[in-house]
Formats: sequence, C-alpha cells, structure tokens
Amino acid sequence: MRDQPSSPPPSTAERILDLLLEALQERQAARQASPERPAAPSGPGPQPALPPSPAAEPGAAPLASGPGGETPPAPEPVRQPPVPEVKPLRGLRPGEAGWTPPPRLPGINLGRTMGRLLLVLAVLTVLVNIPINRYGTSLARIMPDSAALVIRDGLVLKGSGPEIYVLEDDKLRWISSLDAFEFYGYRWEQVHVVEDSFLEDFERGKPIHVLLKCLSSPHIYALENGRKRWIKDIPTFEAEGYVWEDVKMVDCGYLRRLPDGLPIPQDAGPPPQP
Amino acid sequence: MKDLSVIETILRNRYHFFVEIREGIGLPEKMRAMLISSIAFLALYGAVMGSTHSLWQALSSAVKLPVLFLATLIVCSPTLYFFNVLFGSNQSLTQNIALILTAITVTAVLLLSFAPISMFFLLTTSHYQFFKLLNVAIFAVAGGAGVLFLSQGMRVVSASGVEGAGARHMVLRLWILVYAFVGSQVAWTLRPFIGAPSMRFELFRQLGGNFYTNIIASIGEILGFVVVR
Repeated sequence: MRDQPSSPPPSTAERILDLLLEALQERQAARQASPERPAAPSGPGPQPALPPSPAAEPGAAPLASGPGGETPPAPEPVRQPPVPEVKPLRGLRPGEAGWTPPPRLPGINLGRTMGRLLLVLAVLTVLVNIPINRYGTSLARIMPDSAALVIRDGLVLKGSGPEIYVLEDDKLRWISSLDAFEFYGYRWEQVHVVEDSFLEDFERGKPIHVLLKCLSSPHIYALENGRKRWIKDIPTFEAEGYVWEDVKMVDCGYLRRLPDGLPIPQDAGPPPQP
Repeated sequence: MKDLSVIETILRNRYHFFVEIREGIGLPEKMRAMLISSIAFLALYGAVMGSTHSLWQALSSAVKLPVLFLATLIVCSPTLYFFNVLFGSNQSLTQNIALILTAITVTAVLLLSFAPISMFFLLTTSHYQFFKLLNVAIFAVAGGAGVLFLSQGMRVVSASGVEGAGARHMVLRLWILVYAFVGSQVAWTLRPFIGAPSMRFELFRQLGGNFYTNIIASIGEILGFVVVR
C-alpha cells in the first residue's frame, strides 16, 4: 500500500506498526536461525518442545528468513514434514554421573519378620530331629532308605528276612551270626532295610563268620547259624581265607554250650570239644 | 533382632545402602549386622540340609555352611580389591568386603526363604541324589541373586571413579566366575553338608573327585544312566 503514489501517506501510527512488524519478523528469523534454541511452534495450539537434536532443524527451516536477512513474504501456511517419533530419554543408571538413588521406601518391619521366620524354622528343625520311635528314628529320617542309598563297599542291608548282609566288591556277604555282627563292629543304625528285589540285584559272596576260641583249648570254631563248626587244621584255616584277627576269644563254657555243626572240611571227622 | 533390620535396608533401599557404603557411612556396623544375619541364616539352612542324615550332621552343617561362605569371602576378596585398584578404583578393601558381604547376606536371606521348601522335600522324599540336586539348584539361584546385588552395588560404589569403569566391570564379571569356582571347591572340601544316608557321619570326607563330576553323576543317576558308587 505504501508503494502506491496515489494513496495518502501513512499515518504515524501505521508507520510505528510497520516498524514493530519488521522488528518482530527479524526477531523471529533470528530465533529460528539459532541452533541452540528449539523451533517456535508454528500452529496455534501448544506443541511439545522437541529436545535439541538435528532432527528438529529441518522443521524450522521454512520459517527462517532468507540468506540476506531481507523481510520474508507474508507468512504462508507452513507444510511441516512428519515429526519423527520422539523417544524418551534413557534414565540415568545407577553409578552414572548425576544419578541419585530413588526415594527411600517406608519400613515394613522386615527385620522382625525375618527374626520370626528364623525362630519358626529353628523350632521346626529341632522338631524334625527329635527321635519319635523306639529305634531312635526322627521325622527327618523316617522315609525308607532304598531309593536313597549310595551303593558302596561296607553298606549293610537287610531284606524282609532276618539275614543281614554287607556289600563288598559288588557282592552281598551274609553276616552269619550276631557275634559276627558285633565282632566286626557293625551297629544297628547302619542297617538299611530295603526291598528283597533290591538284594536280588547283587551276587552273593562268601558269608562272614566269626571264629571262636577259648584260652584253654587249641581248637578254633567258625560260628554259623548258632552252631560251632570245627576248623580241622591251620592249612584249612588259611584255605578258607581266615586270618588271626578274625578270631574272637570267648569263655570256654560258652563255646562248649554251642551245638556242633558240620566240621570244616565236612569229612574232617567228629569235632573235638574245647 | 536389631541386626536383622539391615535386611530390610538391603532389600528395599539397596541404592541408599550402596551409596552409604560408597560414602563410608557406618561401615563397621553394617558389616557386623550383615555378618550376624548371614551366619544365623546360613547356619539354619545348614541344619535343615544336614537333618536328612543325622543330628550330628545337622549340627556339623550348621557350622560348616557359614564357614563355607566366609572362607570363600576371605579367599576371593583380595583379588577383587587389587584388580579394581589396578583399573582405577578408589574403593577401600573394607568397602569391597562390605559389598561382598551384601551379596552373601542376600544369598543367605534367599536360602532361608527356601528352607521351608527344602524341609518339605526332606520330609516327603528320601532320594539322596534328588535332595542333593535340589539344594544345588537352590544355592545356584540364591547365589546368582547375591552376585547380581554385588554387581549393582559395585556400579554404585565405584561411580566416583569413572576412569577404567569398563575394565572394572569386566573384572567383576570374571571375578564372579572365580568366586563361583572357589566357592564350589570350598564346598567340596568341607563336604558332607547333606550326608549320604548309607555312610556314617563324618566331619569331613576324604579328598578326591570334584564337585562338578559328582553333580553330573547325580544327574546321571536320577536319569537312570549310572549308579553312583
């Protein structure tokens, strides 16, 4: 309108307004050209401020003034490129600069709870260890053993019958008498009661006898099934695999009271009495 | 009971706890509380494990399980400390030990939380190999959570020394492997903790074999491939 000569000269107020408009446009151009400042919102509604990033600059370019700084034409509707999805900033991880620990959580008396749990478990542990039957077995050890056994030499086993075996070299050796059981230092708590089928998995080895002798007699007897079996001589003794440590000294009267079994060897003749 | 309150701080406000270790606030008190709590929890879990064999085994395991963790701590903490110093850490040995004690305390708390489960299986099954493997699994879970805490704590405590942080992180990972390896060997040396039901009570078994072949053999027996002798 100012370029038309026929038009009347602008009033002072109009000139002031034009100057103000120019100043505003220059200010807007300077702001958009600055890389540190985010782009001004172009729409009427509020827009979220983008973080300072290279992706924000293309959106701001159409609003910038020309290279010479001249006044841009009247503002046109700006077609903005699609705004890239703004990813949230990764939170600071513990230990990184600027990280602060989250606010303290209120107490829930966890210490007291732990104390009670400790106490209850201690009482339970004591209870399961108290013997509850006449064999001294506690609740913790009352389950049958057969599934729990570690197969090894020296394992003492008993099936449904009265026989007790000890495992040696993968063979079950029958312990032929209570004297032998005690003489070789076995204890009842070592005996594991298992299914007969479990015993059948093993080959049978030589029975374990205890040898009995009394001071006033030179004869040695093997105790088997409650009967004493006379061992004829030293070669037979050694041939049977016995050693002197197998011999248990007993009272002669006790030895005489034991009934005689077959001698070793069986053709040795009538057994002498101790 | 007062010492047990450290558990709540560790479990619910762990970052504050780690920051206090970093600042060196109340380290002796914290270490004492963690030590007492860990010993109590580990002793109880040891007693539960040993109950499967005999009363003597229960008492023995109650003593040996805390010893196992403390011996592993003593054996392994200098390595972590000096390697951290080598790569620019400014932590003290006490801070390192406090952090490892935090891991042990977390492990002990989780073991205690598993104790009812362990006791349930103790009462309802007598399969020795199963019970042994169950406990190995429980220890693996609890120990894993413990070293996770150690890793977080180490990140917080070493925040002030940025230089060499990557190397120290790698050192920590390798150290955790060493810690597990040493721990398993100490456990093997101090065995039995459960006690094979067919064997007499022994305070210590003769040396020989190793932890890993024994576990593999136990798995093999449960699956029916081998018989452990």
